[in-house]
Amino acid sequence: MKHRVYSRATSVFALLAALILVLAACGGGGSGGNGGGDGGSSPTSNPSSSSGSSGGTSGADGSTESSAQPVGTVKIGVLMPYTGTFAPLTDSLVKGFDLYLEETGGLLGGRKAEVQYLDDEANPQTALRQYRQLVQGSKVDILVGTISSSVQYALRDEVEKDKILLINPNASASDLSWEKKSDYVYRVSYSGWQQGASPAQYLAENVGKTAITLASDYPAGYEVIEAFKAAYEAAGGRVIEQLWPELNTNDFSPQLTQIANAKPDIVFSFLAGSDQFRFTQQYSEFGLKQSIPLTGNNNYADYMFTSTVGEPSAGIIAATQYIPWLDHEVNRKFVENYRNKYGTLPDMFSEQGYVAAMAIDEAIRKADSTKAEDLIPVMKGLVLNAPRGTIVIDPDTHNPVQDFYITENVLQNGSIVTKVIDKMERYAMPAQRPSSN
Amino acid sequence: MSSFFFLLLTGLAYGMVYFMIAAGLTIILGVMNVFNLAHGSFYIIAAYLAFTLVSNEVNFWLALVVAVLCTAALGILMEKFLIKRFYGKTLEQVLLTFGLIYIVSDTAKLIWGPTLKNLAVPAVLNFSIPLGNIAFPAYRLFIVLVGCAIAVLLWYFETRTRAGAIIRAGVDDREMVSALGINVGRVFTYVFAFGAGLAAASGVLGAPLTGIYTGLDTEVLVTSLIVLVIGGLGSWKGSLISALIVGVIQTVGSAWFPSVSMLIIFALMMLILIIRPHGLFGREVL
Repeated sequence: MKHRVYSRATSVFALLAALILVLAACGGGGSGGNGGGDGGSSPTSNPSSSSGSSGGTSGADGSTESSAQPVGTVKIGVLMPYTGTFAPLTDSLVKGFDLYLEETGGLLGGRKAEVQYLDDEANPQTALRQYRQLVQGSKVDILVGTISSSVQYALRDEVEKDKILLINPNASASDLSWEKKSDYVYRVSYSGWQQGASPAQYLAENVGKTAITLASDYPAGYEVIEAFKAAYEAAGGRVIEQLWPELNTNDFSPQLTQIANAKPDIVFSFLAGSDQFRFTQQYSEFGLKQSIPLTGNNNYADYMFTSTVGEPSAGIIAATQYIPWLDHEVNRKFVENYRNKYGTLPDMFSEQGYVAAMAIDEAIRKADSTKAEDLIPVMKGLVLNAPRGTIVIDPDTHNPVQDFYITENVLQNGSIVTKVIDKMERYAMPAQRPSSN
Repeated sequence: MSSFFFLLLTGLAYGMVYFMIAAGLTIILGVMNVFNLAHGSFYIIAAYLAFTLVSNEVNFWLALVVAVLCTAALGILMEKFLIKRFYGKTLEQVLLTFGLIYIVSDTAKLIWGPTLKNLAVPAVLNFSIPLGNIAFPAYRLFIVLVGCAIAVLLWYFETRTRAGAIIRAGVDDREMVSALGINVGRVFTYVFAFGAGLAAASGVLGAPLTGIYTGLDTEVLVTSLIVLVIGGLGSWKGSLISALIVGVIQTVGSAWFPSVSMLIIFALMMLILIIRPHGLFGREVL
């Protein structure tokens, strides 16, 4: 009897250990935080809401890799992570995209838009499979995607080969504008460089001269902090310590203890997803909010974040390209239409989706064509009247030249409103990667 | 306040959170030898339920009770219709409950959407105790007390009550216990519900610390399994000690060796498995 229990216990533990390793591999965040806990990778097709009739007369439109299309339609493939940790961002982004389509009556560049939405699960393998379905199966003209930079790299190589235009509505890796720049990929959001460098000068001149940086331990984190440090130190500041908590950290008390002991003038932070949320709460709970100003990248000013976290995010200073309270005519209409359709204020991802659709609309209209070869020259230097303001797609970096606003979160009648306190006009990425010291 | 002492304190407090999370699994796996991988699912069901209730102006504590009762009821249903068929069949239990994880996770996403949900710390505990140039949140101290209460509850249940003895006997020799006229099946159902209820309670109480988001269920499950493997099956004492060890290692390691703190924990787990497969306090005699 005793013997039986021993051997059973051992095999049980062996099984347990194997399970833990499998689950940890599936559930743990990888680089870029892909695959948040849903281990399986079966391709899922989102219920596609293509606006417009399918199948028309096939026109003889030349035989390039982007296949023959009737002049009256344009096929768009939207490839985004509907599942996993980035799902909320996709949710907002696609809402913004769909709102634009609704405003134009389902037309882009005067052509009827047929849109197919697929889930890349923030996983490069899945993304490539879905990509082939969109490009070879559905024969889309233009692709929109994606959120995760690791997937973006995979897509970038494919669209180069297949000569398909890819509009990037979010993936922020800076080298997509430098070493990995492609004639076929254009970003309408912002780069990691812009996220890190934009607040630095204001902070060094107006808030504090010594900083501790705290960022998630993954490539996007390194990028943002590198850009911040260079700009902050160029403006007279000094980074005294860099903290790198793992992705999916639940407890920031070790870092908070270090910050409390080092007593910097400011903390500059860039954290992914739920980490940002928990850190901000704990920053307040552990009493640091009173003594050391917390500052961060555009996510810290974003409505999705402030509306979820609430009071602990009050007082945070950030630099961002979009908040729903911007006082532009285009933005006022956008916010009103968004609120009427979805019952909530738009966040920056909503605006990015909206501008992605706008970019396609403008480009097709200007080029009077849906073919990549005609659209590419038009994309370079494309001017858009976005809700965030007028932006120009930089021909050198394929990234927007746009205004960045220095903002502060303010508690007003029980909720957070983000207010503009300064502005950096026409803020552009450098055309080459700055040499690191 | 020396930073090491503060780290130790927060590490112990966080270890208590882990113990609270693992307690439900300790009962079901340790006492009943049932592989309930859907443990994390109970956790998030209760958390989401509490979130909905609190969003509709229900008092936090009332929401806690309701969520625990609902989840325990779900546990009863699950045990009666699913688990009961597979006592003693480990692989089937694993596959079944693993599949349930996906079902619950996707259903939750359908109902509550993909965005992170914030369950606020109840107002009465929403303050911090100043300790030098940093403060300690009262809610975390509360969790420590909850963890201690759970430990006492488990100790009492196991050693002092007749029910505890019945369960321990029933796991080892079901026929004999039935022959004594005890409805073993019903006892198991109640224990399973109790484990589900514990998981639910920890879900509601843990939600203000982490937020509720996709992937939380697997994180909770992995944490609980680690605690159980290191501490040993069938021993809530082992779970308590190992949870505290894991909490302290993770907190102190995160400050001193940030890139390898998870590595240390997994290395510890492997070490235990090699040297002492039953875990630190695993059951050697019955």
